Amino acid sequence: MTETDFLAYVQAGGQVEAGDWMPDEYRARLVKFVEMHANSELMGVLPEREWILRAPTLQRKLALTAKVQDEVGHAQLIYRVVEDLGKPRSQCLDDLLAGRAKFHNVFHYPTRSWGDVGVIAWLVDAAAIVSQKALLKCSYAPYARIMKKICWEESFHILHGRDVVLAMVTGTDEQRELVQEALDRWWGPLMQFHGTPIPRDDDQMYVWRIKSQGNEEARQQFLESYVPQVWELGLTLPDPKLRRGDDGVWEYTEPDWDELRTVVTGHGPRTLERLELRRRFLEQEAWVREAVA
Amino acid sequence: MNERARLLLELADDELLVGWRDSEWTGIAPTLEEDVAFSSIAQNEIGHARAAYELAARELGTTADELAFDRAPGEYRSSPLVELRLVDWAHTIARRCLYEQADRARIEALMQSGDEVVAGLARKIDREEAYHRMHAELWAERLRGDPRFEQALAELRPYVDGDRRTRTDDFAALHDEMTSVRRTAPGAEW
Repeated sequence: MTETDFLAYVQAGGQVEAGDWMPDEYRARLVKFVEMHANSELMGVLPEREWILRAPTLQRKLALTAKVQDEVGHAQLIYRVVEDLGKPRSQCLDDLLAGRAKFHNVFHYPTRSWGDVGVIAWLVDAAAIVSQKALLKCSYAPYARIMKKICWEESFHILHGRDVVLAMVTGTDEQRELVQEALDRWWGPLMQFHGTPIPRDDDQMYVWRIKSQGNEEARQQFLESYVPQVWELGLTLPDPKLRRGDDGVWEYTEPDWDELRTVVTGHGPRTLERLELRRRFLEQEAWVREAVA
Repeated sequence: MNERARLLLELADDELLVGWRDSEWTGIAPTLEEDVAFSSIAQNEIGHARAAYELAARELGTTADELAFDRAPGEYRSSPLVELRLVDWAHTIARRCLYEQADRARIEALMQSGDEVVAGLARKIDREEAYHRMHAELWAERLRGDPRFEQALAELRPYVDGDRRTRTDDFAALHDEMTSVRRTAPGAEW
């Protein structure tokens, strides 16, 4: 099979398995993409960890521990996919700590209040599930397969998040304000989440059918599903231009792409602090890994 | 407070605090496998705490959440062993081993007790604790003879039978943080 044949095959909806031949470029792009996903699942638990203790009811505490458990479990599964493609997990984790590998923009920001916990579980996970559902059709079959389990679990996080938000918006004025304030802060990063609106045929991840949709399609899908829900709760979004056009396409203020670039290249407000926390404990407990090696 | 409520509160307080202490490893455990294991154990322990608080709440005419969050520090009946903040692996594993041993004895006694409600809860808890014990035993085998681990065991052993009527120094910070969100809107639904 030549590279051209391979490209035609995946573009026609064909899928490949771990042992199949694949062009080097495809493998390299796949590793980078899947590794970033794994890193994001792992780094995604750090903004939530201290809120397990602060969770205001036993039910919320349990839901949050379940969510965190799902996410580290996803990281473990996804790193296995990367490993099968030829990059050892230890190298992925080293690259993550050294700032050589990326993780999603939303995990570089602080979690300031219980309102954030609701907004993250509801809308950050919603934005993520839009992307992940599109990966169910990924041309790399092992990744597409695990995405079924991941999407299923993520859908519970969204329900938990929506429930946290709902309890707060129907509660006291202070509780409602916590949600609104969190939403105002998270809206920028959420609009940046799916990436710049490059045409999908210029997006190499789409060309190789690693992704099955373009960035803007994903963002439109997110807006179409969730903006009406946010408004329905009487919450506002900090974008005066945000509206659904007569053609069904959502209009919005251009997201801050400079911010996205700055953040994902490791210069977000909490990037260093979170990597440092992991580094500190991994160093402190290096003897444990040696003891069990 | 009757004997049933007292036993349930001791169990619930221990499970809640140890569950939270275990969740302190979220995202920073020495290996990814242990990150998964610890978050799973933490989730089970907090689930056990909720079940025990619910039964205690029926005895005491209150709610599980009020028992878990709204008591004064002096009213908790946790073991000092679970209150300690121990974010190093040797101490964490030593605590897991000591806690699981003590918890096993307690759960067995509760299963044998003539109180069918408490025994039923104990049987349910025991099914999950079996996995926690295997996890603790596996780690104890791996670390046996390591001076860090042996020293941690020796250091923590006296806490196992510590006084449940007084709180350790580490409890205050934990309680303060645990109730921080809830205190902002007393009586509200969350």
